[in-house]
Amino acid sequence: MRRITIPIGPQHPLLKEPVSFLLDVEGEQVLDSVLRLGYVHRGIERLAQERSYVQIVHLVERVCGICSHVHTTTYCKAVESLMGLEVPERGVYLRALLCELERIHSHMLWLGVLAMNMGFDTVFMYAWRDREIVLDMMEDLSGGRVSHAVNIIGGVRIDLDEEQRKDMLARLAQLEQQVHRAKDVVEHERSLRARTEGIGILTPEQAKQYCVVGPVARASGLDMDLRRDMPHLPYSELDFEVITHDAGDVWARTLVRVLETVESVRLCRQILENLPDGPVSVRAKRRAPEGEAVTRTEAPRGEVIYYVRGDGSESPARLKIRTPTLTTLITLPEQLRNVAVADVSVVLSGVDLCIACADR
Amino acid sequence: MTARRDSAVDLPHYDASAIEQQVVPALQEAFPDDIEDVRAMPVDETVVMVSVAGLREIVGHLVEVLNVPHLSTITGQEVDGGVDLLYHFWHGSGLTLRVLLPLDALEIATVTDIIPGAAFYEREIVEMLGVTFVGHQDPLRLFLPDDWDGPPPLRKERS
Amino acid sequence: MAFGDVGAALVAWFLYPGFLFLFVCAWAFEWFDRSTIARSQARVGPPWFQPLADLIKLFAKEDLMPAGTKEILAAGLPMLSLASSLTAVLYVPIAGRAALSFEGDLIVVLFLLSLPALCYFLAGRVTGGVYSLLGGNRSLLQYFSYEVPFMIALSGPAILGGSWSIAQIAQHQDATGWGLLVQPLGFLLAIVGLIGKLKRDPLDIPKAKSEMVAGSLTEYSGRKLALWHLAMNVQAVVGIFLLVNAFMGGQSFHHPLLNGVGFALRSLLIVFALSGSSVLYARLRIDQLANLGWRVLAPLGLLQILVILGIGR
Repeated sequence: MRRITIPIGPQHPLLKEPVSFLLDVEGEQVLDSVLRLGYVHRGIERLAQERSYVQIVHLVERVCGICSHVHTTTYCKAVESLMGLEVPERGVYLRALLCELERIHSHMLWLGVLAMNMGFDTVFMYAWRDREIVLDMMEDLSGGRVSHAVNIIGGVRIDLDEEQRKDMLARLAQLEQQVHRAKDVVEHERSLRARTEGIGILTPEQAKQYCVVGPVARASGLDMDLRRDMPHLPYSELDFEVITHDAGDVWARTLVRVLETVESVRLCRQILENLPDGPVSVRAKRRAPEGEAVTRTEAPRGEVIYYVRGDGSESPARLKIRTPTLTTLITLPEQLRNVAVADVSVVLSGVDLCIACADR
Repeated sequence: MTARRDSAVDLPHYDASAIEQQVVPALQEAFPDDIEDVRAMPVDETVVMVSVAGLREIVGHLVEVLNVPHLSTITGQEVDGGVDLLYHFWHGSGLTLRVLLPLDALEIATVTDIIPGAAFYEREIVEMLGVTFVGHQDPLRLFLPDDWDGPPPLRKERS
Repeated sequence: MAFGDVGAALVAWFLYPGFLFLFVCAWAFEWFDRSTIARSQARVGPPWFQPLADLIKLFAKEDLMPAGTKEILAAGLPMLSLASSLTAVLYVPIAGRAALSFEGDLIVVLFLLSLPALCYFLAGRVTGGVYSLLGGNRSLLQYFSYEVPFMIALSGPAILGGSWSIAQIAQHQDATGWGLLVQPLGFLLAIVGLIGKLKRDPLDIPKAKSEMVAGSLTEYSGRKLALWHLAMNVQAVVGIFLLVNAFMGGQSFHHPLLNGVGFALRSLLIVFALSGSSVLYARLRIDQLANLGWRVLAPLGLLQILVILGIGR
């Protein structure tokens, strides 16, 4: 059969953001692929060198739409270490609450997208309808559905009063019901399993070599989750499980993410029930002293790492961001080798790409 | 079938004190001439200053002998006197290997054959800072557009 | 030829059961289908005039084709699809009366209903482009997987009814009751075959949006695309009518209006079956369909035929 090149991207119904895969196809089999990034490279690291620390909180939120809070949290933690500030407990708990809500949001959105790309519109419609509950909670908490602007250097700018807290707990109960239903569908629906099992396998050895993080790594058997492994508040005081699986295929990733969503709902409940009293922030100066800091956080897609170097002025000398999607992108040519063309959409959806994160 | 909780790979159980108490002393013992300085950095990070020539071997030793395989990223920045490269590893707490490349010799051996996941990080530093990684198989543009003909964006001569 | 004959022929072609009638049925079919799917997905569904509005809008859009496409072929293929369904409906009894009928017209109708699949494949070839070619190739592969079970399933009613004329098959069920009660397996296989023929979820493999963009029709737009939509909806309607006659045939009442209502209700049952199946499953992969078609459906169809022959003895 003739070899042809199928272009997936930069514009394709499958992709939510521009990225280009040139698939080398023979018949119905993909032989090789070439990945091209950079379509949404905005030069955020370069821009950060010309903005003040406060302006960068705003800038860094826009690295990504769906994990925006995690980016500002990691950045603020780095700058707070530079300045020697300690965020009060209540502020730390509220930050974590929004992190977990974002995780639930990201996983539900992803489930809908995976289902849609498999032709299973019904699951897409239900997952996105239930996602509205999370978005309403986040809007109540911060004023914005997707872009929250909750973090400031030194803590958070929002607070919950008793009535809001009770209201959020009630909504959480409703969300929990829907998430359990989604879990049932994923675990028992045979056509979904038939389309995802055995596709896009990453062996544990490959995952280790490519330094993969997040649900993709956990689905390949690597037991790594920064929330448990880093002994910081509030996760050190909360009870949750890290979900792993050893199949390493798209089905494993689906299971891991859905079960993680259930765990995140539990975490949100624990945070809301055990919210400590006190202030939510401390005052921060405009200048950071000379010094460096490295911070890591568990974003919905894995480990986010920030490096900040201050030179005593109002602007950092260097800001370095590495997002988890970059680690999964590098494994895609491996995963796409010898896969049927029909499974390309499943593989690409299975790794939960966030190209804006990767390109910055 | 629900997800199982046991990990099958020999990725070690993370211990926050492992880096400081076991890994760094082991490195100092194995490479006494290449390690120039050890200090702490917030948050949970230990920084080890390493010579340019010894970096590749130290990375190999870390991955293969000491079982610290996870490279988070490689940061590059221009400082007075050259380009500073930071290799951030993670093993319960952070370990950063730091090398300083002089401006007239922006070259260092690649680590992509030891850690395939480093490929993108090195490519980004090639295009953003103009460093050459000797032995890198595929040093094509990653983020910058194909028709970019200016100097590397993160070098100071731009501003 | 008498003037009356020509008049009757014209009425049959253009009004009933021809073009105008089928146009209205296709409109109703699309609305019922989209509403059922929407309600199952916690949505509301389109207003009653949506299918007509979509068609009108498409007609008003610009009709661009890639350079090098033979316009006459590109335009002729949807017309051929539409024409074959329009011709097929003349032999399908609607509410008990067929415009034309002869012994063996079941075979003719089956052939006419499979022409659109061939046209779809050719459309991909004619317009070129990676997605069109691949979508067309897949549609041919899909055709081989569902067509054989479909034909086997539809031979069942013919054997039971003792005739290869659809009108006779339907009339036979006046006496014996609905065919699907005797051959439920055949009915199920016919529904699956119809889903494959119409390229609906879960068998919309050739035009899977996330893989093939729009399959053979990727490069179509404007009036030609409107014609394709109409052709596919009309094919669906004729296929549904065929199934109603083959498995739920016979006149329940001796009043033409009540017969019409009964016929419409039975057709709606099949529409709900089609909509329901598109909501409940993820899309199959082409090799999974080929497996299913040859290893499961075709043997089941043969089993059903054996059972029928056994009953006949």
